[in-house]
Amino acid sequence: MTVRRKWAVIPGLFALGAVAVLLSAYQGATSRPDTIITEKGSWGYSAASSPQGRSPEQPIHFPHPTHVQTLGMNCLYCHYAANKSTDPGLPAVSTCMGCHLVIGPKRPAMNGRPAFESAEITKLQKYWNEKKPIPWVRIHHVPDYVNFPHMTHVNAGVTCQTCHGQVQKMTQVYQYASLNMGWCINCHVGNVNPAWKARYDCSVCHY
Amino acid sequence: MTENSAPSGVGRREFLKILGAGSAATAAIGCSSDRVERLIPYLTQPDETVPGVSNYYASTCRECSVGCGVLLETRDGRTFKLEGNPDHPLNRGALCARGQASVQGLYNPDRYRGPMIRKNGKLTPATWTEALQLMGQKLGEAQSSGGAGNAVFINKHESGSFPAFLDRWLADFGMPAHLSYDALADHAVIAANRQSYGVAWPSLSFSAAKLIVSIGADFLETWGASVPQQLDFADARAKLEDAPRFVYIGPRRSLTGCNADQWVACKPGSELAIARALAGGSVQSAADASGVPAATLEALQRELGATKPSLVLAGSSGAGSMELALAVNELNKQLGNVGTTVLTDQPITSLEGIATDADINAAVEKMRAGQVPFLMVRGVNPAFTMPRAAKVADALAKVPFKVSFSSYPDETSELCDLVLPDHHPIESWGDAQPMNDVISLQQPGMDPVYDTRQTADVLIDLAKGNQRTAARYTAQNYMRWLIDNFPGGTTAFTAGLQKGIGSGSIARPAARPASTGAPQAPAIEGTNGDFYLVVYPSPTLGDGSGANKPWLQELPDPVTKICWQTWIEINQQTARKLGIDSGDVLQIKTEQGELKAPAYVYMGIQENTVAVAFGQGHSAYGRYAMGVGLNPGDVLPVGFDAASGSFAWTATKVQLTKVNEFTPLVTTEGSARQHGRGIARSVPVEELPHLEMEQEEHDMPGKPDQSYLPGLRSRMAADAMGEIGDSPSRVQKGMYDPEHWSQMAKRRWAMTIDLARCTGCSACVTACYAENNLPTVGAPYQMVHTAFLHGVPGGNILKGREMNWIRLERYWEGGEDGGEFEPRFVPMLCQHCGNAPCEPVCPVYATYHSPDGLNVQVYNRCVGTRYCSNNCPYKVRYFNWFGYGEPARPQYAWPERMSWQLNPDVTVRGKGVMEKCTFCVQRIREAEHRAKAEGREVRPNEFTTSCAQACPSRAIIFGDAADEEWSVARMAQDRRAYHVFHEQLNTYPAVVYLQKVTHPAPKAAAGA
Repeated sequence: MTVRRKWAVIPGLFALGAVAVLLSAYQGATSRPDTIITEKGSWGYSAASSPQGRSPEQPIHFPHPTHVQTLGMNCLYCHYAANKSTDPGLPAVSTCMGCHLVIGPKRPAMNGRPAFESAEITKLQKYWNEKKPIPWVRIHHVPDYVNFPHMTHVNAGVTCQTCHGQVQKMTQVYQYASLNMGWCINCHVGNVNPAWKARYDCSVCHY
Repeated sequence: MTENSAPSGVGRREFLKILGAGSAATAAIGCSSDRVERLIPYLTQPDETVPGVSNYYASTCRECSVGCGVLLETRDGRTFKLEGNPDHPLNRGALCARGQASVQGLYNPDRYRGPMIRKNGKLTPATWTEALQLMGQKLGEAQSSGGAGNAVFINKHESGSFPAFLDRWLADFGMPAHLSYDALADHAVIAANRQSYGVAWPSLSFSAAKLIVSIGADFLETWGASVPQQLDFADARAKLEDAPRFVYIGPRRSLTGCNADQWVACKPGSELAIARALAGGSVQSAADASGVPAATLEALQRELGATKPSLVLAGSSGAGSMELALAVNELNKQLGNVGTTVLTDQPITSLEGIATDADINAAVEKMRAGQVPFLMVRGVNPAFTMPRAAKVADALAKVPFKVSFSSYPDETSELCDLVLPDHHPIESWGDAQPMNDVISLQQPGMDPVYDTRQTADVLIDLAKGNQRTAARYTAQNYMRWLIDNFPGGTTAFTAGLQKGIGSGSIARPAARPASTGAPQAPAIEGTNGDFYLVVYPSPTLGDGSGANKPWLQELPDPVTKICWQTWIEINQQTARKLGIDSGDVLQIKTEQGELKAPAYVYMGIQENTVAVAFGQGHSAYGRYAMGVGLNPGDVLPVGFDAASGSFAWTATKVQLTKVNEFTPLVTTEGSARQHGRGIARSVPVEELPHLEMEQEEHDMPGKPDQSYLPGLRSRMAADAMGEIGDSPSRVQKGMYDPEHWSQMAKRRWAMTIDLARCTGCSACVTACYAENNLPTVGAPYQMVHTAFLHGVPGGNILKGREMNWIRLERYWEGGEDGGEFEPRFVPMLCQHCGNAPCEPVCPVYATYHSPDGLNVQVYNRCVGTRYCSNNCPYKVRYFNWFGYGEPARPQYAWPERMSWQLNPDVTVRGKGVMEKCTFCVQRIREAEHRAKAEGREVRPNEFTTSCAQACPSRAIIFGDAADEEWSVARMAQDRRAYHVFHEQLNTYPAVVYLQKVTHPAPKAAAGA
């Protein structure tokens, strides 16, 4: 009897597993991640998407809030290709230096904040002076067999925040969405915003 | 990346942290790009680039002498594909397989990484400073000792500014003019054309002719300007009823011969007699000499007299080639073809100024005599292209200082003392003059891959470093020099770069007197042996320079379908008599040497002749070429047609013996016969008026007058989609519903392939390799861990593991007993069946039919059961038996820097995954995305697939069959249209073939 009972547990476990998989697949569709995984180093090659909540340390601690919220810069100022290419584009070091030639590491006292020396701007200037590009760590990774055209999404009115979260508030950027297929499809069938519904045939993204 | 060092000892957590950071650092330094997930921005963004969007730089192809216009597709700083430049008047957007494969020369893993200097007998890496210093010193010595006057510079033949620039540079150093070498050029025809018309190569109008007679001129392969000739020939054949009849005369039915309506087999060496007979000379003596029945020659003579205009062509082969070429030119004049089909006023100017084979031989003889103190070689490989009997290596050993500008470690550069590697043409500036008043500009698509320098820049630097010449070289580099000397100056140059074409003419270097005293090859009849030996340049590898490009090695020879190998072609009847089967090893022997290779039993070769392709058998030249196949040059005597200085490729008879060995032929062919299955169909021209569309109307894809649901048209399949049943309206058809909001079912992607145009050249195959990241599997290093096949070139192909999504099938019709036979070519690719046999057998839904009519293969779903491949009647699905995309595996198909060629839009498939033609879905989606971004529909014929884009016959048309505006929709309703296997298997393919049209000999003439 006991033996039989033990065996009977296994299908139950399978069912549980399946439910867990299903849940995890749709988890990203609804809410922001529970945990933020801070890690050093890089996400190695994988056939899967990068994990939700991933927040690798970057070579320069770039403050999105300062640039977006305080200074009111548009996302497309730096990620300039997001509305015209599959690749959103990463600002060239010269783009950073366009302002930071003038805005040096010595920050004056402002709005009640005391004067200080910015280590991050110093790092940026060092990269520029050495003529080296900044080796940013990739946060969002989709597998090779997925083709995600940024411009089509941006032009359809999907905001950056829909997939990337409130980057303007993130002192260190983390992966907001799960980037798994269930999450993609959920939006493509119109569950997130009926106006955004789009083709969900396999060959639309996988080739 | 430095961690704060732990004050005392390293705890477990610290240790793991350091380990992690350390391995990331190693990975970053090691630059194995697919392991590191770094996003590296530009330091300064180039103005005209957008990441993820390709830039196209108009340039010029330098693989052969002709100079077709190409577009270099470049993204994020890497050129990854070459396409024909549609605006170029010469090739009008088409490009041959060799041109496509140029990019594999650029990223070739065996290229020289930088300059090399011979030290203690070995070529050792050096810096440019050292190398240039040595070169400058040797140049100075040559000048002061007076040896410069006997220096020799052999350059790869090219048109444009460089030859004149080079001659000026040589003159400044007191050196004689350079030799412009092209081992493939038909020197006899060029010499005869110069004599008859005053131009090296008139353009030929096949479409104006009513009858084409080619006596050994392989104008679809290596004879003259093959791409423009093929474009025009295909246009001519597409005229169907008005198309010219084509007769090919020669000992071997080449690819060009296979496109002829009639092949007349003659003995090698008898071509002149035939040409004279056609011109009205004695038919009987020609028949005696050639072994061709007198009636055939008489009929041909009559037909030629009665059909105007016509076009007669000759290709040189052995002794007396010049006489043959002159006789044919005379015949064309006599028939009134000059000005109608032979357009002497529109010459292909890029073939002007080629030094003859005899000139090169004379230079080699001078070296052997110890008269040459200084040798420079650029872009050519005489130690390989000249026969072994010429003993080039011995002659080179007598030269005290030899410099090579080769990019690759080839047979010649390995003998040199100094290697100053040249840029690949994709990294270089230059120009070409392919036609009068057309300057084809060449610009780099990217920064140099390795530490190489463009030879012209090296020459300028050397001149600047020399007291006597410095004052004359003020230009900063060759690009500046080009601009300064460009007709119209900077403005015209900059404007021209946009399209890659400028107008004007470039001064050619003064013609050099032809060398005399070349050893005359004896008439082939008089040589010893029992079989004539025909040596022909490989249509895919050219003069052997293509052998280091795996795409070309893996591209089956268009006629025999053999790759990665050398074979001996022998007549079917003769082989039967001698008891020889395909694969039996034969030995051919001459006084110069012997060669053992497997037999390929072929109907298309004269019964006393054997033939071997030239281009394989390298003893150097990198991992893809070295030790692959054999070089027929090893058995050839050094003999020339003295009148023209053309090397006699067909010069000797051979002793043929059967060796008791067997070597399987590395062939991609399943069966050479159709077994009545109607795969490749043809229709004689006289039946054309009675031809009606075979299929019932509703079977043609995209017929507009029906309610339209792509694919899944059979009753059974339709039911699966809920068309039949109790209440079809309630069945959810999703995106397959034509009324669905996504509008995805509105389109039906389809393709037509016109077999009347297709010549079987296989450019489409290489274009597919280039676009779709197809791995090559046949390299010797990729065959491991297999008994008897370890390290065998093409071993994986023997095992049936080739990955050609589109392949060119070639079938023979008739001729089983030695009579006439008809070759048929048919490009075979995934048919994207509407009722696909592969789809229902997939257990994981990895292959299915998309609403827009594609048979999709989802790589990430595929688990590799291979049921689909088993069930595919067309055999167009290919399985990844190994991890061809994984650098750590021995089968890795893109060793260091080949991977830079990979198309970023296409997934590199993993091990254990099935793959097949996708109809270039990445191009479809790209066009859709672009259209959407611009707020419009995809325009008719806005884009096409890679194969269709490259096709130099314009045989392939791709598009939306559901929309009448697309060309494909009109073509699919042609009266010649048919589907392969549809009648038997009910597959509803999306690929429509149009029957080939044959032009049999006129009835009256044939009866005579």
